Amino acid sequence: MNSVALTRWSGEDAQRRVAKRYAAERRFKLLGLLAVGISVAFLVFLLATMLVRGVGGLSATFLAGSDSTDPAMAGVWGALKGSFLTILVTIGLAFPVGVLSAVYLEEFAPRNRWTDLIEVSINNLAAVPSIIFGLLGLAVFLNVLHLPRSAPLVGGLTLALMTMPVIVIAGRNAIKSVPPSIRDAALGVGASKMQVVFHHVLPLALPGILTGTIIGMARALGETAPLLMIGMRAFIAAPPQGISDPATVLPVQIFLWSDEVSRGFVEKTSAAIIVLLVFMLLMNGLAIYLRNRFERRW
Amino acid sequence: MTMTQEKQPITTNSAVPFPSTAIAADAARDDAGIAKEDAAWTDRPEPAAGPAPITVETPSPEPQDTAEPAAGRTPKMRADRVSVFYGDKQALKDVSIEVHDDRVTAFIGPSGCGKSTFLRCLNRMNDTIAGARVAGQIELDGHDINAPDMDVVQLRARVGMVFQKPNPFPKSIYENVAYGPRIHGLAQGKSELDGIVEKSLRRAGLWDEVKDRLQESGTALSGGQQQRLCIARAIAVDPEVILMDEPCSALDPIATAKIEELIHELRGRYAIAIVTHNMQQAARVSQRTAFFHLGELIEYNRTSDIFTNPREQRTQDYITGRYG
Repeated sequence: MNSVALTRWSGEDAQRRVAKRYAAERRFKLLGLLAVGISVAFLVFLLATMLVRGVGGLSATFLAGSDSTDPAMAGVWGALKGSFLTILVTIGLAFPVGVLSAVYLEEFAPRNRWTDLIEVSINNLAAVPSIIFGLLGLAVFLNVLHLPRSAPLVGGLTLALMTMPVIVIAGRNAIKSVPPSIRDAALGVGASKMQVVFHHVLPLALPGILTGTIIGMARALGETAPLLMIGMRAFIAAPPQGISDPATVLPVQIFLWSDEVSRGFVEKTSAAIIVLLVFMLLMNGLAIYLRNRFERRW
Repeated sequence: MTMTQEKQPITTNSAVPFPSTAIAADAARDDAGIAKEDAAWTDRPEPAAGPAPITVETPSPEPQDTAEPAAGRTPKMRADRVSVFYGDKQALKDVSIEVHDDRVTAFIGPSGCGKSTFLRCLNRMNDTIAGARVAGQIELDGHDINAPDMDVVQLRARVGMVFQKPNPFPKSIYENVAYGPRIHGLAQGKSELDGIVEKSLRRAGLWDEVKDRLQESGTALSGGQQQRLCIARAIAVDPEVILMDEPCSALDPIATAKIEELIHELRGRYAIAIVTHNMQQAARVSQRTAFFHLGELIEYNRTSDIFTNPREQRTQDYITGRYG
């Protein structure tokens, strides 16, 4: 017995087996590091190029001005304001509708063929290319409802359609991850279904819902194609005063400038990208802050 | 027949011979006060005379409780031929049982035997499980709890529940206890609510430990304290019946002892039904014990009789640790 144990766990053979295991572990770590390295390298490359090219373009006139045919006079303020107004419309519409849909589907709807169908459709909708939402917005909001062309209102509505499924999916997952024991506890003291949802489930699911919402918003913020379809690619020399004024948004502005022949716009394009990245960084930072702020353990 | 609620294996060391004499003495003490009424209602129209225990293995077609008023004691809750189905699977077959005021009724049996399922019928918690269907009649003070005029929210306030895993809300200790009275509008103001919170925590034997930190999170307490907080939360709405679903299975022996002591103290005030895997616990805390096996109620009797003189071979086998 003793001698068997000795031969099995000592000697060259055992050492070789152990070494093999450690080698596999090292290889895996290296592979993981490589994977992370690739994505970081691209990010660093993007940031470095943008900074080198664009930092010179960041000036007071650039931050305060609107689009202009003269690169020296062109600024991002108009596009920034347009982006802000568009996102406002999007969040104002997509958040309540998305959260209520998620709550209904997860907590109240019966499980049957119809809700299965709805679930599949929502998941599908989240994967539909954004250009198709743009066409939908063009057909419904502009051609049927005759809403103002190029306005943040229409842009926001279109992006809301696109963001809603993302919020519904994130919301449902967040609601699903609230432990059933909390529901049982509330039901056990005689809370009604509504009270269980609004006193316990929704507050606990909120961090997850907010994270999903802000990720959806960040995506909407960077969206270009559907906005081109509803006319937000027009040349707008004055910042919009409200959600029905003609406006453009940051990514569209970047797209327009990158297409300009004048050399001066190269710098402007990079500077606008820096502004967009900072805007997104702020939004993602907010998402992380909100998640930590509302997160509770149970 | 498999049930998801009961995953834990039985940890009772039941191979050790059961200290039946101690239990008999304990049970005798417990039953001393209620022996008279017991005699009145135990002797049902069963064929056997004398201290014949009631066995409800295959319920007779005629309801047994017609003779009940004569016995002079109405049970707090009465289940009559209750069956539960999860989809196509039958988890519970024709269970008839009574839960009485100021007495602790224990439900024992191996995992998946239907005891938790049955407990959850008593306050209609099975309503929340998709595909669950309950057949048969369950009454609270003579009213059918599944009747259309029975408000399930009110039912659950009258029949409180304590769960297997301590599940305080991730809120303060105070809010945990105050939640029930608040949603039911039981307190007229802050001071009255404070009073209810204190009284409930005192009854749950937790007040002295938490009185200086009522605003701290309920989830920061130890497991045993959390479970007593859950009991305080349940009694804060002044229920008539308390259902406990293996309340000690996640607790250490000391916390378990405290909960058991608490159950003894609460007995005079509420009808208590407790599901337990631990047979010694059933013997210690209950006056009535029901033994479930494979979805059927095998035997329901005085605890002392179940543990010292079971009628059914299967009960005998289970309590001596031959299976389970």
